[in-house]
Amino acid sequence: MLVQSLLIFLVAAIGYSNSALGSSLLSRPLVLSAFVGLVLGDLETGIKVGATLELVWLGAMAIGASNPPDMTSGTVIGCGYVIATGSDIASAVALAVPVSMLMSMVWNFLMAVPGPMMSEKADEYAAQGNRKGMELMTLGFCLLQIVILSALCAAGFYAGTTAVQGIIDSIPEFVNTGLNYAMGLIPAIGFAMLVRMIVDKKTACFLFLGFLLVAYGNMNLIGVAAAGAVIAAVLVLNVGSGSKAAAGEPALAVADDDDNEF
Amino acid sequence: MTNETTAVAQAEAPERKLSEKDLRSIFWRSCILDCPWTYERQQNMGYSYAMVPAIDKLYEQGSEKQKRAYGRSLDFMAVTPQLSTLLMGINVALEERNANDPDFDDSTIAAVKTSLMGPLAGVGDSLIASTLRIIATSIALGFSQQGSILGPILMLLVFNIPGFALRWWGVHAGYKYGSDIISDAASGGIMEKITYAASIVGLMAIGGMIASFIWFDSSLIVIGSGEYATSLLEYLEMIMPCLPQLLVFGIMYWIMGKNVKTTWVLLGTIVLSIAAFGIVSLF
Repeated sequence: MLVQSLLIFLVAAIGYSNSALGSSLLSRPLVLSAFVGLVLGDLETGIKVGATLELVWLGAMAIGASNPPDMTSGTVIGCGYVIATGSDIASAVALAVPVSMLMSMVWNFLMAVPGPMMSEKADEYAAQGNRKGMELMTLGFCLLQIVILSALCAAGFYAGTTAVQGIIDSIPEFVNTGLNYAMGLIPAIGFAMLVRMIVDKKTACFLFLGFLLVAYGNMNLIGVAAAGAVIAAVLVLNVGSGSKAAAGEPALAVADDDDNEF
Repeated sequence: MTNETTAVAQAEAPERKLSEKDLRSIFWRSCILDCPWTYERQQNMGYSYAMVPAIDKLYEQGSEKQKRAYGRSLDFMAVTPQLSTLLMGINVALEERNANDPDFDDSTIAAVKTSLMGPLAGVGDSLIASTLRIIATSIALGFSQQGSILGPILMLLVFNIPGFALRWWGVHAGYKYGSDIISDAASGGIMEKITYAASIVGLMAIGGMIASFIWFDSSLIVIGSGEYATSLLEYLEMIMPCLPQLLVFGIMYWIMGKNVKTTWVLLGTIVLSIAAFGIVSLF
């Protein structure tokens, strides 16, 4: 149990280091759950829980000054419990959402109080021309967040397995059924948020095209993305260049577009 | 272009210039950009961390100019991490000019930085943080639901190969072309075209995911809401496959337009679902 908690600490540290490692999606449930599954010895369940939690937080991302909920703690604890206690995947959601809300408060405190204090200290070092001091403040604040938040996750995992198992066992049947049902509906929230961000009158039709390809054509999503790339290329290359006779531009646009696909 | 003219003008003074190594250092150090995020000045410390080696290379140790550049690097910053190096490249190109030209007004640097940050963040957030991520997620989800390791691996590859390529390109392009590049791209409409193309693919992926990943367990409905509800769902499916999914999406889309906090919608969905089955279980 102690060893498992230490491993959970390491996995949480990977999640919290996401933004120190090129903001490379390491904290997304789909990715991080695989790590949880790996260290707890059930990779397959870990990945499946990851898919479920990913759908819960699909719309969550850092945009401007708004911070996403803390997916790392939710994923690590939710997925950890499912694997450690062998409970239903739906219980991962029931745990992950409140845990992430609680941990977001701790994280927000760190970013609101010690963070700005260290940033002001860095200003002082900058005025003295002390590069080492500035770097110390920057890296120190990164480390501070990663260690505190990961330790809290590990402590929660260590303290809670039996307690949470007891609670889960006492849950009446209709709550589980309701949770299972909610899990099927929750992805719609994320889709709605994303669409609201991307869509305009000109592009709304493509949302329905993608939907119809799957609903009627039973196409898989890689196929839909590939078809989308072709349609985008057709529209930008052939339709767009008709009015604008600049040779270089459409080619560049498509090259970059392909970058985004694969 | 601007750098060359500066170089000619400053031929007599010892020229301070950045090398490929310095640009690479910016690339690597930019990777922590979002980690020391604070509510006060957001990414300022991460941005500064990427800038300091180049600043040290350009200015004399302990000089007033160096301290000013240090201070400048700690100003407010909010930009998409994958596009941050483009801004840093432009920034160091201006710093280089400032270092070699005694008449250069260094308030220009802060102005350029501030004015480019907003548009870059706007394009980056919609292009990378949402669209590219959604394409990666839509490709990975199916594999993950089967419990296949291909899911997480594909997600990381599809997102990060273009992400890091953009980061690498950004610092070089930004340094080479200075601030001309953004206005060029804007006037040529390239940014618009990329955004348009990416949003087509992204929206189609979301449309496909609406049909694939929202679900109703119809056996639950039989237990849950009696005969009428079951026949209603079957009826909807007869009109169009996956119509219930589309309707659920439509309702959520409408709610999200009402300025409600997502967490409340999330909790509301869970509570309502449980309550619905709770009420039914009483009978």
